[in-house]
Amino acid sequence: MSRSIRLLRYVLARLALAPVMLWLLASLVFLLLRLAPGDPVDALLGSRAPEAAREALRAQLGLDQPLWRQYGGYLLDLLRGDLGTSLTNQQPVRSVIGQTLPASLELGLVALLLAAVVGLAVGFSGIARAEGAVDLGARLFGIGTYALPPFWLAMLAQLVFAVWLGWLPVGGRFPPTLLPPVGSGFYLLDSLRTALFQGQWQNLSGTLRHLVLPACTLALLLSGIFANALRLNLRRAMASDYVEAARSRGLSERRLILRHALPNALLPVLTITGITVASLIGGALLIEVTFSWPGVAARLQEAIAQRDYPLVQGIVVVVAALVVAVTVLVDVLVAWLDPRLEF
Amino acid sequence: MLAAAVALGSALTLAGGCKPQRDPQRLIIGSRNRIDTVDPAGAYTFGAMQLLSAIGDPLYAITSDGRLEPRLATGLPQISDDGLRVQVTLRRDVRFHDGTAFDAAAMVFTLERFLAIGKLSYLLGDRVTAVRALGSHTIELRLKRPFGAMAQLLSAINLTPLSPTAYRHHRRRQWSDRFVGTGPYRLSFFTPQQQRLEPFAQYWGRPAANRGLDLVALGNSTALFGALQSGEVDGLLSTSLELDHQAALQRQARRGQLRQATGPALEIGYLTLLSDQPPLNAVGLRRALALSLDRRRLVQRVSQGLNAPLRGLVPPVLPGGTPEPWPAYDPAAARRLYRQAGYCQGRRLPLELTFRSNIPSDRLFALTWQALLQRDLGDCVDLKVQGMESTTAYRQLGDGAFQLIILDWMGDFPDADNYLMPLLGCDQSQGDRCLKGSSAASGSFWTRPGLEAELRRSASAQGGSRVALLRRIQAQTAAASPYLPLWLVQPRIWVQTSVAQPRFDGSGRVLLQELHRP
Repeated sequence: MSRSIRLLRYVLARLALAPVMLWLLASLVFLLLRLAPGDPVDALLGSRAPEAAREALRAQLGLDQPLWRQYGGYLLDLLRGDLGTSLTNQQPVRSVIGQTLPASLELGLVALLLAAVVGLAVGFSGIARAEGAVDLGARLFGIGTYALPPFWLAMLAQLVFAVWLGWLPVGGRFPPTLLPPVGSGFYLLDSLRTALFQGQWQNLSGTLRHLVLPACTLALLLSGIFANALRLNLRRAMASDYVEAARSRGLSERRLILRHALPNALLPVLTITGITVASLIGGALLIEVTFSWPGVAARLQEAIAQRDYPLVQGIVVVVAALVVAVTVLVDVLVAWLDPRLEF
Repeated sequence: MLAAAVALGSALTLAGGCKPQRDPQRLIIGSRNRIDTVDPAGAYTFGAMQLLSAIGDPLYAITSDGRLEPRLATGLPQISDDGLRVQVTLRRDVRFHDGTAFDAAAMVFTLERFLAIGKLSYLLGDRVTAVRALGSHTIELRLKRPFGAMAQLLSAINLTPLSPTAYRHHRRRQWSDRFVGTGPYRLSFFTPQQQRLEPFAQYWGRPAANRGLDLVALGNSTALFGALQSGEVDGLLSTSLELDHQAALQRQARRGQLRQATGPALEIGYLTLLSDQPPLNAVGLRRALALSLDRRRLVQRVSQGLNAPLRGLVPPVLPGGTPEPWPAYDPAAARRLYRQAGYCQGRRLPLELTFRSNIPSDRLFALTWQALLQRDLGDCVDLKVQGMESTTAYRQLGDGAFQLIILDWMGDFPDADNYLMPLLGCDQSQGDRCLKGSSAASGSFWTRPGLEAELRRSASAQGGSRVALLRRIQAQTAAASPYLPLWLVQPRIWVQTSVAQPRFDGSGRVLLQELHRP
């Protein structure tokens, strides 16, 4: 069987498993939420309201139905692509996710891009002399940024650049005095469009000003991962036999690094990028909370506190689907790029 | 990386025009209040109520000095001789934000909608059986039993009228992100984090003193504190702000660097005692615990003096709230009662206090009281503390799961009935034990014969006789001490010195329409 056919079978198998994974995850989240003590009515009314009123609200929200019926209804709706309605504000879950997911993706992607640029630049120190000053600096950078507590760094950045210097906003995604651009929900793209076609440059500068601090903070925290991964893999590649053989054939150091060592060192970095992207989709919680960034992670946290079952289930399923898609894509990309891999 | 942020920030700042130009008469007010829904039928958080008070109008309002003031009504409610029918005459010069006229049909539409889908529908539903229009601008409410505080109930902002034309497709479902009411502002933009209010040109009352407001919610207290310091917001509401930050802002206000306004203290903090199970089914021990609370010191430690000590269940600003009948701190008297119960003689009373782990002041209270008890009555009481997430705790309250738990409460409208009934009401009892009703649901299970009848009488009474009844109920409850009042929480707002002194109304909400730069 040729490699391309084996690759195709591998991709199809991964894709076929994805719905099973999502079903398991959706069922687990459904069950865990119901096992947790307290329900939306407890979260909503607290200790107030008479018991009859609480029961009436439970019935109004459909929480008085037997669990199996709730589960069956949930799965049927899910198959139809209906994620349900938020219990706290009766908005369709799809619409809540549509408002918050672009914010998280925008922040995550910009941060990832910045982290990759800085991290890979630092990671290139892998070609420097081991234990030298450059190597030591890069190592310290990698460990330091990886170990920094996100909320601490975020609050420090807020304090310095927003409160003391007053250069950048403390939080939020868009200036409160302007109306956000209408469009895809990705404010950077939407405001760029309005700037280019309608001359509204204030939207773009407002978006950038709000994006700078959270994106740079997140990027700084992520850049250590890239720096360490590239530095170690590059050092390993530079010490490998094939590089030594190439060197003995008289290839220039520049060609040696760019054509031989770097491509091999970048393959593991690609896998790490995939994992990082997956974790960023719903995982930049501390950054979102600290900078009041209205993303999907912060919304998920609130939904859990409010016991908003449909919203928690919807966010988890959508984020999980995206994570599965990204990991499959990265796996396939790595398998396609690395001829040594067998599957 | 952060250096790059500095560079970019500098570039953006120096580029000029990057910071959006602000109209000085448009104000930005920050808070931690994320607002999920602006529909009065679904709104229940303080932030949503504050917003609704700016874009909606109640039938009645409580003024800052506690007076009842007709707003959309032309006078006080007319109550029938049997007390079961209430008539309210409405203003004729009021328009909704969509231009349609406000009338009795609109008010009936609103009240019926709230009864049908309101999350807090029990506010009205427990007292009102039917609403109907009598003519174009008079409504009649039929009551289940006489209720003396009807005007106060109708001051609840959840009952603000909605335009039947605008809400015709939302008669029985919520409209979370739009609002068409009668208030001094129109809601022109809504997201849970940001709301934009524009003055309503056809408003019947005094027009807004500013050219609009932007209400923004930031996710944490530090960010909000920083936003006020950097001038990014013009004002900051105290709800959910960390007490450290509130204390720092208060100090700045005292130094003249900010302006501060305080509202009526309507939120109470209290301890619930499980009064139907040993050991706290013994009145003597409950009294001993009541005497073991050094409120002054606790309030100082927990809130840095922002909260006021409280020795009653009804806030003192409300009729019936004074005098405060719970005893003051008296460790010697407490020791005598513990001794009478057989403790302090080589035997310590084991108690477990539960606090809500997601509320920092609860935790601080629990640890401080534990330390104070250890110091002053350590040979008599052994207090253990445990944290639990609030929603989990609320679910288990009615199961009698907590020997002692710290909770807070704020009535949905400012009236004593709203503080006593939810804690003391009991539908079914056996001696001093409440089997079913609010007292059981709130975790104390305490009642006494005749209490429910007295509560109902106080709900229907008015004037001096009502106040006397309220005082008697509180005094008898204090004698049994199934609850221990702790402190009062006052809402606050801080604004930049360039903004005129803000004011609160009697319901604890900032009068946003009065905010302006002189």
